[in-house]
Formats: sequence, structure tokens, C-alpha cells
Amino acid sequence: MRRRPGIGGLQTAAAARDQYRLLGENVAKLKMDLMKEQLATFRSQLEDFARKHKNDIRKNPAFRSQFHEMCAKVGVDPLASNKGFWAELLGIGDFYYELGVQIVDICLATRPHNGGLINLEELCRLLNQRRKSAREAVTEDDCLRAISKLKVLGNGFEVISVGKRKLVRSVPTELNKDHNEILELAQANGFVTVEEVARRLSWSSGRATDALETLLDEGLAMIDDGHRDGKRRYWFPCVSSISSFVGNETL
Amino acid sequence: MQKLGDFKLPNFFNYPPYFTLQPVKDTREKQIQLWKELILDYCRTQKIFIVEPENFPLFTNSGIERSLSHEAREVFLSALVSEGRAEWMDKGHRKCLVLWHRIQDWADLVLRFVKDNGLEDSVMTVEEIRSGIESRGTELYGIDRTVLMRALKLLEHKGKLAIFKGTSADDEGVKFSI
Repeated sequence: MRRRPGIGGLQTAAAARDQYRLLGENVAKLKMDLMKEQLATFRSQLEDFARKHKNDIRKNPAFRSQFHEMCAKVGVDPLASNKGFWAELLGIGDFYYELGVQIVDICLATRPHNGGLINLEELCRLLNQRRKSAREAVTEDDCLRAISKLKVLGNGFEVISVGKRKLVRSVPTELNKDHNEILELAQANGFVTVEEVARRLSWSSGRATDALETLLDEGLAMIDDGHRDGKRRYWFPCVSSISSFVGNETL
Repeated sequence: MQKLGDFKLPNFFNYPPYFTLQPVKDTREKQIQLWKELILDYCRTQKIFIVEPENFPLFTNSGIERSLSHEAREVFLSALVSEGRAEWMDKGHRKCLVLWHRIQDWADLVLRFVKDNGLEDSVMTVEEIRSGIESRGTELYGIDRTVLMRALKLLEHKGKLAIFKGTSADDEGVKFSI
């Protein structure tokens, strides 16, 4: 015969549950304390490290990028906030904000020439030229980090990969696959012709012309009718080094 | 860096598409801006006052085998004309007077020249102002006669001087009264 649950049994069960809960809470608290302690230790170690290598972090781009990598691995983003000990310690938030502002400046200044698409390499070079007075050298890695911070301002800035190169886009132009392929092709000589695009990418010449005309309208390409073969060339300032053509008088 | 005489050319001068008039508005504006600055810079440093569009060394870059089309030459110079920095000298637009200093600025230069040399009440010939000992080393040295006469007329209008005629066009004189 099955025993029906009596009042005593219920009370025993409730008491046991309470006991378990208490025990569980204790264990959780212990674990939590331990974790807090570990975190505190880790934090102070990281602070120590950062303090000790403050100058290296600020001055040495390679070291800085390794430091970022390390932070990323342990899930700390020193750029996430401008408040807190990172900012106080390193001024690292400010560093990237400053970079961000300068990047925006350069992109705007060169936009009339390149249509708002600039080679990362080129951007980095202009940035360093402009920061000549500042002590620290800036790497492409720093540029990318600063640009990723610009995302909070909306989708204005984006890094796109075209072939081997990275281009920074500062206009809301949507580049489709056709456009990207043309840009990639243009990297070889800085320009392409309709014929070349059609032949190398096996497109109809209509498709090539369409894509090139779009790039032209967006201000990303310039035409050149002056070559003696009489074929129109489409040049792409964003894949050639612009400052070697349009000096820094605009900056 | 490529040079034309002793003139240091800007980088865009070596980028072929800048020698073809760009069809897209924004790109074209930028192109015109760069060319305008280049023309003024070049004329100022080389002391060129009159540009013949079809025969102007700056409009050709043999290094990259590019030369501006007739239309492009006309567009760039006309852009300067519309800003008061140049004037067509004939209806056919075969000659263009480039004013890297506006007439008003030339007039100011004449005034400064007069003051610097203590000529406030003196008499000079127009030729002396253009090529005399006093003007040597100043911007006035070698100034185009048409431009100088325009500046002098402006000053005459303001009562700063009086122009009087000699027996021939060569010896027009100026009496300063500043």
C-alpha cells in the first residue's frame, strides 16, 4: 500500500530543501568571493602592468597592438569607456578619440579627390604626416581600432577589403560585387578600360560600362581620354597613392 | 618632382585624368579649383601676365604625354575670369590677361612703393615705375604696362595721383600727391 504524504513528511521535505538552499547559497557565496578576489587580483595585476608599461603602450605601436590583443583575450576593452582607470592611467581612450577625429578630417579633406574612398595605407600615412608633432607613431592597426570606434556615430565609416588592400569608406555609397571587382582590377595600374574589365572579368561590355559609369558618378573614378590609343581610361584615386598626386595642400 | 623651368609643379600635374575635363560635377569643381590655383601660382612666380591658351607650356605635360583639350583650357581660364582673376583680351579668347594680384592690390603695391621711396610729391614716368632703379626687386618690376595703367587710373580716380601725357605713349608721366 502506498503511503500517503502526511504533514510530518511535508515538513521534513521542506526543512531539507531549506538546508540544501542554505548550503547552496554558501557554496555560491564562497565561489563568488573567490572569483571576486581573483578578479581583483587580476585587475590590480593588469593595472600594475599597464602602469609599468604605460610609456611603451603609448609610444610603441607594436606593443600597443599586443596589449590590445591581450586585453581582448581576457575580455577587457580599454576603449569601451573614457571613464575609469584605463582613461586615467593611459589616456588611451583619448588617444583613439583623437585619432578618430583626425581620420574624419582627412577623409573629408580628401573626399573631393577620391570620392570618399581611401586606401588604409594612404590614410595611415597622411595621419602620421599630420601628427608629426605628436610623439607616437600610428599603425594601420590603430587606424582600424579608431575607425571601429567611429561606428557609434552611425554607419558613416566602414573598412572594406578589396583584393589585398583595405579601403576606408566615408560616404554611404553601396559598393556591389561588380564595383569591388573593378577596384581590385584597378589596383594593378591605377586605371582600367571598359575593354580590359570586360575581358578580364568575362563581362559584357555593357555591364562593364554600367559599373564604371556608376563609379564615375559616385566620384570614385576619373576619366582620362588623353592616351594616344584613344581608349578612355578610368582612374581610381582611392587605389593610387593620392598624396603623391594631389599634395597635402588640401590638408 | 617634375619642374617647368624653376617652377615646382604640384602632384596632380602628373595624374593623367586631370588633363581630361571631368564630366561629374563635384570632381570637375575640384579639378577646376586645382588648375586655377596652379595657373595663378605659375604666372605669379614666372611673372607672366598674358596667357595664350593654345600656346601655354603649363597646359602640357610631356612626361605623361597629356595635354589639355581646347575646351579644358577655355574652361579653366574662364573660371579665373569669372572670379575677377583674369580677363579675356579679345573676343576670340586667344589671349588672356592673368591678374594674380587684382587691380586694387596692384594699386596698393604702387602706393606702398611710393611711400617706401619717399616719392609722395614726385613725378615719375610710367616706364620708370616698371623698370626704374627704385622698383628693382619689388613686385612692380617688369609689371605689364596694361595692368600698371589700370592700377594708376584707379589711383587717379581716387585723387592719389595725376596722369599726364607726354609727346608719345612711351613717356606718360605720373604726378603723385598722396
